[in-house]
Amino acid sequence: MAVYINHKDPASGDLVKILNKIPPCPGTCIFIDLVESTGIKYKKGVGHWGRLINNTFNFISILNDFPENIVKGIGDELMIYIPDEMLAKKESLTNHYSIIEELYSTLLNIKSFPAKNLFMDCKIAMHYCSNVYNITFLKGYNDYYGKDIDMAARLMSKSGKNRIVFSEAFYQKAKEDLLSLNIPEEYTCLAQKSELVSENFKGIPFPVVYRTIDA
Amino acid sequence: MIINTENEGNIIILSLSGRLDTMHFPLVDKELASLIEKNNKEIVLDCKDLDYISSSGLRVLLKALKQMEAGKGRLTICNLQPQIAQIFKISGFDRLFEIYPAKKEAVASYL
Repeated sequence: MAVYINHKDPASGDLVKILNKIPPCPGTCIFIDLVESTGIKYKKGVGHWGRLINNTFNFISILNDFPENIVKGIGDELMIYIPDEMLAKKESLTNHYSIIEELYSTLLNIKSFPAKNLFMDCKIAMHYCSNVYNITFLKGYNDYYGKDIDMAARLMSKSGKNRIVFSEAFYQKAKEDLLSLNIPEEYTCLAQKSELVSENFKGIPFPVVYRTIDA
Repeated sequence: MIINTENEGNIIILSLSGRLDTMHFPLVDKELASLIEKNNKEIVLDCKDLDYISSSGLRVLLKALKQMEAGKGRLTICNLQPQIAQIFKISGFDRLFEIYPAKKEAVASYL
């Protein structure tokens, strides 16, 4: 659970000392957004929209595999954070490669599903985070903050319908997994990855490198 | 993941045992692709000992179903354990596949 930060003295230097001592919590940050959700709400009504959200969230298997890692949701957008420490303890999906393979399969299953008007298409961004801290400023909430969470959120602007955008840091982690598992990359969704893109994002003082996979 | 294949006449019965997830889906994908390529039109997937299926596992089954249907064949499923049946239900896959409670019924459906 997150370290709760709440100091009443705004001039206190102690808070900075406490924050600087909190250890990082490396892991994978995932943002999932449902495409054209707001439009559907207005065009077809809240009932139909809610049904599609329900169906789609049920369909995204990673939400069932990592229910305790859903950090927050705002309507149809979810933030999931999976610390490495927790990932290693799972029965299934114990590595970074498995996470992206599952997400890719989910996008493909939704896209290929023969019946129409049951699910919404998704867009996804993922980043492997080193600079991240399990802290919260709100009592009783779990949350994660850090420069890498900002980067994951920025990557979302490069995603789109049936697309996963992922940082090079995440790709390198997944690649390490494939090597240790002796799985050739050509048999995986990573075989579909784009070339490396380098781009500047608002508020991040260096270019961010990322790739995409389209389902 | 253990895959066993047996025949009942022209019907191929593929028994899956273990976990059909990101680690194992390529094995099942390869096996099904090979059977479909050999023009087998009647395939039963016996899931009696299948303990877990992930999205990548479902993807392989959906791919095989589409290929079978395109070739005018039939892929049926039997013996789903309750937890797998639940996944099929919430994902809507129970509406895509012909699912039978036991191997006997699945085989009989081809006769």
